[in-house]
Amino acid sequence: MKKWQVAVVMLLAALGSWFTVGTQAQAKTYTIATDTTFAPFEFQAKGGKYKGIDIDILKAISKKENINYKLKAISFGAAVQQLSANQVDGVIAGMNVTPERKKTFDFSNAYYTSGVVMAVAKDSKIKSFSQLKGKTVALKTGTAGATYAKSIESKYGFKIKYFNDSNNMYNDVKVGNSAACFEDYPVMSYGIKNGIALKIVSKQYEAGDYGFAVKKGKNAELLKKFNAGLKAIKADGTYKKIIDKYLNSSESSLTGETASSRTFIGLFTQNLSTIGSGLWMTMELTVISIILATIMGLVLGVLGVMPGKVGPAISSTIIYIFRGMPLMVLAFFIYIGFPDLIGHGFKIPAFIAGMITLMLNEGAYTGAFVKGGFQAVDDGQMEAARSLGLPYWTAMRKVIMPQGIRIMIPSFINQFIITLKDTSILSVIGIVELTQTGTLIIARNFEGFKIWLMIAMIYLLIITLLTWLSNWVQRRIN
Amino acid sequence: MAKVSVENLHKSYGDNEVLKGLNLEVQDNEVVCMIGPSGSGKSTFLRCLNDLEVPTEGKIVISGYDLSDKATNINLVRENIGMVFQHFNLFPHLSVLQNITLAPVQLGKQSKAEAEKTARDLLATVGLSDKADAMPKSLSGGQKQRVAIARALAMHPSIMLFDEPTSALDPEMVGDVLDVMKNLAAQGMTMIVVTHEMGFAKEVADRVVFMADGLIQESGKPDDLFDHPKSPRLQDFLNKVINV
Repeated sequence: MKKWQVAVVMLLAALGSWFTVGTQAQAKTYTIATDTTFAPFEFQAKGGKYKGIDIDILKAISKKENINYKLKAISFGAAVQQLSANQVDGVIAGMNVTPERKKTFDFSNAYYTSGVVMAVAKDSKIKSFSQLKGKTVALKTGTAGATYAKSIESKYGFKIKYFNDSNNMYNDVKVGNSAACFEDYPVMSYGIKNGIALKIVSKQYEAGDYGFAVKKGKNAELLKKFNAGLKAIKADGTYKKIIDKYLNSSESSLTGETASSRTFIGLFTQNLSTIGSGLWMTMELTVISIILATIMGLVLGVLGVMPGKVGPAISSTIIYIFRGMPLMVLAFFIYIGFPDLIGHGFKIPAFIAGMITLMLNEGAYTGAFVKGGFQAVDDGQMEAARSLGLPYWTAMRKVIMPQGIRIMIPSFINQFIITLKDTSILSVIGIVELTQTGTLIIARNFEGFKIWLMIAMIYLLIITLLTWLSNWVQRRIN
Repeated sequence: MAKVSVENLHKSYGDNEVLKGLNLEVQDNEVVCMIGPSGSGKSTFLRCLNDLEVPTEGKIVISGYDLSDKATNINLVRENIGMVFQHFNLFPHLSVLQNITLAPVQLGKQSKAEAEKTARDLLATVGLSDKADAMPKSLSGGQKQRVAIARALAMHPSIMLFDEPTSALDPEMVGDVLDVMKNLAAQGMTMIVVTHEMGFAKEVADRVVFMADGLIQESGKPDDLFDHPKSPRLQDFLNKVINV
C-alpha cells in the first residue's frame, strides 16, 4: 500500500473502532432489512408501520423460534448491498432465489413462489412481447421481472429503463413514457386491485422462489431457525392465513385509509405523524450537519490561508476530494464501502453515516468560500495587526476573521439552504427523512401529485424560515 | 549604539532586485526622511525594518535585536516599532477606541480601562478627542491617519516608521497629519519617514536620505542635500519635484 492509503485506512480504523464498540454489545438482536415499496410483501401502512406478507411471516416465524430482530426498511437495492456489506444480518424482501445471488447469499427454503408478468397501461393496445419492438420497457432494479425482461430484450428489440421503486415504474407506464413493465404477479395484481391504472396482459413466466437471505457463510443459525419456523407456521395454518389476508383483501382495509382521506387536506392529516417524523429527521440532519460543516469549513478556510505550503495544500486537497465527489457516491462510500473495507462486522448507523457525508461535502464547500472570504480581507489588515506586535493567530482571530466572516454571511446562508435540500439525497442509504417519507406514503396510496406537492411545500416553508432566521442574524451582526 | 543598523541589505522578488545593498544607521531621537522616485525601494526598505518583508540578504539590528536571527521573537521587536501605512489600514470592524486599544489589551500590556485611558489621551494629542466611539468609515482620510498614528503610539514604541503617510490624503488634510508628526519629532521620537513632502523633510528631518535604483545615492543634512545636491540623479529628482 502507498503511504496515503495507509494513512486513510488508519484514519478510518480509528473512526471505526469508535462505532464498533457501540454495536457489538447488542449482537443477539438481528437486523433484518426489507424493501419499502413492494406491496403486498411490504409496504408502509397508515402511521408509518410496515405491513405485508414478508413482515407478517417474519413476525410469525420469530415468535415461534424466539428470534429477536429489528426491521430496517430501505430500498431493495440498498438492502441487498447492505447484506453483502454485512451492514444487516438478513434480508426478506420478496427476493428471488437466483444462481447469481446464491454466490453471495445463503437462502432459506422458498416461502413463496411467483412468476413474472407484463403489465401495460389500461388503454394500451399492447398484448404481446412482439409489439414492444422499439418501445421502452420500465423495470425495477434487482427484481425477477428485470432479469426476465433483460433476457428477452434483444429478441423483441425493446429499450430498457430502470427505476428504484415500483411506483415510479408503474407511473412511467401509466403516463405513457414506457410501454410496459415487468413485475412479480402477486405484486402487480395487488397493485391493480388497489387502484394502479395498469392491466396484466401476459401469463406468468419464469416462476421463481422467494427466499430469506443471509450473507454466504454467516448467520447459519438464523437461517436454520427461519427454516424451522417456516415449516411450523405452514403446519399450523398461520402461513395460509397471512397469504389470504394480503392477496384477497383490498388495500384500504390493510392501511386503514378511507376514500374521504384522499383530498389534499385529508392526506395531510392522515399522514401527519409520518411526515412529522420525516421532517424531524430532516431538521435533525440539517442542524447537526450545518454545525459540523461550519466547523470543518472554518478549519479548512484557516488552513487554506495559513502562511507556508503545508496548510494550504491540506486544505485544497480535502476541498478537492469532497467537493468533487457527488453526495450520493460519498454517502454510499461511507455507509457501504467503508465497512466493507474495514471488515470485522464493522457497522456505521445510517444516521451517523449521513451526518458524516453531509459534513464532508458541505464542509468542503464551506471551506472553499471561507478561504475566499479570508483572502478577500485586504492584506494591509494583517500587516497593520502584525506591525503592532500581535501574533499571527491573534491577528487572525481579532482582525481577519471578524471581517472575513461578514463577507461570508451570504455564502453561509446559501450553504445552509443547500444542506437542507441535500439531506434528501440521504434517502438512498435508508434514512427516512422528508423525501423518503414522501416515497413511502406514495408507495401505498399512489397519490404522487398531492404528496409531492405537500413535501415540496414543506421544504419551501422551512427554507423560508431558515432564510428569515439567517437574515435576522445578518442584520444583528452588521 | 545605533538604534537602527542596516548592513548590506538586499531584497529580490524573483529576478527583480529591489534593494541592492543598503547601509544605514539611525541614532536615538533622530528623524530620518527618505525621499526618491517611485519604485526606488523606499517602502520595501521600510517594510524590511519590521519584517513585513523578509530580506534576501543582509543584517538588520533594531534596539539590539538582530532580525535575521531565528531566535529573535519578531512580535517583541514589532511592539517596539510603530508603523503607519499609506492607506491607514484601520480595522474597519472596530471603533476608533477599539482600534487603539486592541494590541495593548490583547498583548496584556494594559488592562482594558488603562488602555482606554491611554487611547483617549492619545486621541487628544492628535486632535480627535470627539471621535473615540466613531467607526473608521465615518472619518476623513486625515482623521483616519491620525487615528492610525495614535494606534501605533499606544504600544509605546521607541521607533516610528511612516510609509508615505500623506500620499493618499486630500491636500487640505495633509497639514493636520504633518503637524502630529512634527510634534512627535519634537518630543524626541526616533522616526524614519518615507515621504514626498519635501517641505516636511526640510523642516523636521535631522537627516535626509535619497534613494534611487535600490541604493542610497546620497544622504546628509536637509539644507546640504536640498541646496547643494551632489549627484546628478538627486539634482534631476529635485528639479522635478520642486518645480511642479
